[in-house]
Amino acid sequence: MKGLRTSIIQEKKRTEFVIMEDYKFLFKVVLVGNAGVGKTCLVRRFTQGLFPPGQGATIGVDFMIKTVEVENEIVKLQIWDTAGQERFRSITQSYYRSAHALILVYDISCQPTFDCLPDWLREIEEYASNKVLRILVGNKIDREDREIPTHVGEDFAQRHGMYFLETSAKEAENVERLFMEIAAELMEQARCKELPRYEQNTTSLNGKTTSIGDAGICGCSRLS
Amino acid sequence: MFSCCWCCSALRPRYKRLVDNIFPVNPQDGLIKNNMEKLMFYSLSSPEKLDRIGEYLFQRASRDISRRRNGFVIIAMEAMDQLLAACHAQTLNLFVESFLKMVQKLLESTDPQLQILATQSFVRFANIEEDTPSYHTRYDFFVSKYSSMCHSNNDNITVRKQIRLAGIQGLQGVVRKTVSDDLVENIWNMVHMDKIVPSLLYNMQNARYSNKENATPESPTEERSDPPQFAETCMRELVGRASFGHIRCVIKPVLKHLDNHLLWVPNYFAIHSFRIIMFSIQSQYLYTVVEALMTHLDEHSQSPLKIRTSIADTLSKIISIAAGESVGPSVLEIISSLLTHLRVSVSRNLSSTNDEQLYQEALINALGEFANHLPDYQKIEIMKFIMSKVPYSKLDSITTAGKGDVLLQSILLKSLLKVGTKYQTIHLNTTFRPSFLQPLLRMSLASDAEMRLLVQQIFHTLIDRHKNINKLTKPTVNIIDLNLEIEKASRPDIIFIKKHGPEIYMALYESLELTSNNVDNVQSIYTTLALLTVELGSEETVLELLQLIMSLQDLALTSIEINTAIKFNLHAIVISLLVLIANVCNISNLMDYGNKIVRNRYKEAPHLLPDLCSEYGHLSSGISSSLLVDQAIVSECLKEVGLETNELQGTNYSNNSLQHRYSWVDNTGCNSSGDINDGTIELDSAGSSPSVQKKLPGEELTFDSIKRILTENSNVQMMEEEKRMQFSHLFRNTPFPDLIKKTQPKHDVLQSKLSEIFNVLNIEPRSQSIQGSTPSDIKPSQTPAYEIHFPELFVY
Ligand SMILES: Nc1nc2c(ncn2[C@@H]2O[C@H](COP(=O)(O)OP(=O)(O)O)[C@@H](O)[C@H]2O)c(=O)[nH]1
Ligand SMILES: [Mg+2]
Repeated sequence: MKGLRTSIIQEKKRTEFVIMEDYKFLFKVVLVGNAGVGKTCLVRRFTQGLFPPGQGATIGVDFMIKTVEVENEIVKLQIWDTAGQERFRSITQSYYRSAHALILVYDISCQPTFDCLPDWLREIEEYASNKVLRILVGNKIDREDREIPTHVGEDFAQRHGMYFLETSAKEAENVERLFMEIAAELMEQARCKELPRYEQNTTSLNGKTTSIGDAGICGCSRLS
Repeated sequence: MFSCCWCCSALRPRYKRLVDNIFPVNPQDGLIKNNMEKLMFYSLSSPEKLDRIGEYLFQRASRDISRRRNGFVIIAMEAMDQLLAACHAQTLNLFVESFLKMVQKLLESTDPQLQILATQSFVRFANIEEDTPSYHTRYDFFVSKYSSMCHSNNDNITVRKQIRLAGIQGLQGVVRKTVSDDLVENIWNMVHMDKIVPSLLYNMQNARYSNKENATPESPTEERSDPPQFAETCMRELVGRASFGHIRCVIKPVLKHLDNHLLWVPNYFAIHSFRIIMFSIQSQYLYTVVEALMTHLDEHSQSPLKIRTSIADTLSKIISIAAGESVGPSVLEIISSLLTHLRVSVSRNLSSTNDEQLYQEALINALGEFANHLPDYQKIEIMKFIMSKVPYSKLDSITTAGKGDVLLQSILLKSLLKVGTKYQTIHLNTTFRPSFLQPLLRMSLASDAEMRLLVQQIFHTLIDRHKNINKLTKPTVNIIDLNLEIEKASRPDIIFIKKHGPEIYMALYESLELTSNNVDNVQSIYTTLALLTVELGSEETVLELLQLIMSLQDLALTSIEINTAIKFNLHAIVISLLVLIANVCNISNLMDYGNKIVRNRYKEAPHLLPDLCSEYGHLSSGISSSLLVDQAIVSECLKEVGLETNELQGTNYSNNSLQHRYSWVDNTGCNSSGDINDGTIELDSAGSSPSVQKKLPGEELTFDSIKRILTENSNVQMMEEEKRMQFSHLFRNTPFPDLIKKTQPKHDVLQSKLSEIFNVLNIEPRSQSIQGSTPSDIKPSQTPAYEIHFPELFVY
């Protein structure tokens, strides 16, 4: 009885909701990295177009949403901004798993934040899907006191199979590009695999969400 | 735009028109009630349109959100709430989809007010019982978002609190919605629990009480205005709903959270959280929580001692809650695990730093707390179990036990003492089952003086039933001042002491023979004897006690090994015990005699009276006979009250009682009663070796003779072992008194064989046990039952 009813409803949903939803793809993006490297600023810059003056450190996990257009398709990005502090590690880790893309951020003017990258990679290895799109970001390029040369970051990214980009949340350098390329890349992946699109699952509310990460990756172009 | 809608409204579907009509021109005017009623009426009469209505409302709201026209968004949500409430259960799931999409849409907005509004709607939905749950609905986003809200860091403190409350409320809603039906969503999945549990704990840990010692989580009020309080309520609900397979999913994140947020030291919050868990969890799973905490302790084996101590302390604070519900194997598992931790701790650090000791203490406390809340019969089991873990195979070897073993022994005995203090003896025979008594007596002869003290303390706490222990810690001859609580010994008690008295007395006697004794050892043995006297003193048992104290006096007079101070100590406890026995058994002429000696000593030799000293200066060890207890006079005193004639006539006891030194063995006078409470395996088994008592020459059943027999016996067995050939050589060629001393490390054999003999004596009528065979008839293959229980007791 229950089962029958459900199948009828799901049938209904498939035919109708396609037209009704206001976006075609939904991707989950998670930002990680030491506290203070500028994760929250990057998210704010991208989602709200501003560089927030002196906000407190993130606690646990913060959430933002941004809808963008890529190749005439509406893409919704769910952005989870995590706290860098050790004590929130267990709750933040729990958000890695469902991520489609993980942005690992360090501060180009702060060597220790770069030195911690291997630890972060271990975390990601352990808790995220192994197919997750990984992007290394060196933030705060507006600063004069750079400690990590670009090529060092680039090398590191290459060695670990990550995309690489340098940004400034303050000067809005490469921020838009970072997220747009992620959206494009994920969309490409979704199309490559000809997976059921998100329009079929509309939001994460509905049906089975097929995570791109789970289903294997195909040869897609790198962020340049 | 709106005007445009109006003009073409006639062409629009009816449901869209009805929806449009509920919105006022000006959002401040709120929902247009009349039109809302029309919409409701329509949706009730045409329920098949519900999903379209919902979808349209959602689309309107989406548009309004993106245009920041929050007033209209609020109205749309309100309309959806009303429709949801009015829906018939059967048609509800047509509407749920768009309803939840609406909620999500609002939660995605950056406006806290919309998020809070959405949460309220969600909670309303969560409280509705759906006929047909929306199996296709996923709660992933809600768990993620609400958990995030629980950590809100909004600059405005009031808003922050509101968002956090909404987060907690939302999580509660998700749990309520999903918990009963795994098909909807397995909320117990680690993906969810790893978010929900830390989010609740994070709010709880900011509570007033979480950093105070005496938090009382017992009576929570569902305070929806206080995030910590509210989070706690949710936590209780969550834990309360967890079934067996889910408990770990809750406990694991709790432990992880406490680790991450460094909440073990100090451990107020840890204790508080675990109390909440213990009080909320279904009682049959309490043990799982204890187990999880125990495992966590394992995982912290490399962590700083302070953390381990704190975890152990937390364990000790909650373990009692589990004790009431734990049954069977789980009890021993917990004990066993605690003992293992103790063992590891001992082996880790032999030098025992202060921190390590604190850690061990925390573990021992946990053990004690646990035992404290178990029924008494289980306490006995636990004491037996702990005793079985005490390593004493090495005690038996000539070389002293390794340092680690000694430490472990003493730790285990301390644990035993802890459990013992929580146990209230009712009948001595249930407390001191042979399988427990034997190893305890054996430990009372350990080479380490500290350990012997511990054993006596265990005896004290287990024997003392009338709270006389503090009055009898030190010997005294002023019995009246003590105000002792004395109750007539019960029948089972007397049977017990008749049966086991001899081996107990023997062990105490031998323990006093040891040259490593100090005043504390002598004093503690006095206390044991005094407690036995008070608890069990009766006309029936007085004889054995008196025989023992005569032997002790003799030891003090004749020993060449015991130092003078201890000899004086012995004399002092002899007279103290004599006076005590006379008082307890109310033998007035014996009292008089005792007091006379006291007076004499007071005048001539006060060093032979309490208090005991460890140093007496240069006093002569010579003692005039008027200061000593005279066997003949004691015997006379007893005869005068008719004790001997009534009780002991017709037995062999009178022949060798006071005339023979150490002859406190026979108790055939109570053979028949001895049978009554027997029936323990131990006795049966002992009785099945009839050869033992056959060889005993009943007429000469004295301490000496038994000792000789046993020595010969062990001698024979040793000959079988190549490596001990030298010893047997020694045994054959050494004069008897020396031999006794040499065999002392072998008291295990002596003890077990002796008790075996005693058991036999108790159950076998004297008539059957006259003609003897040879000592070698005691075959090693006949394993007494207590050795089966405790194989490690078996020294060969
Ligand atoms: N100069 C400069 N400062 C930045 C930039 N991004 C963030 N910051 C500063 O770095 C600090 C930490 O930023 P935040 O976003 O909170 O870091 P998070 O802990 O990674 O989220 C703040 O004081 C920001 O103002 C940037 O691109 N350039
Ligand atoms: Mg941040």
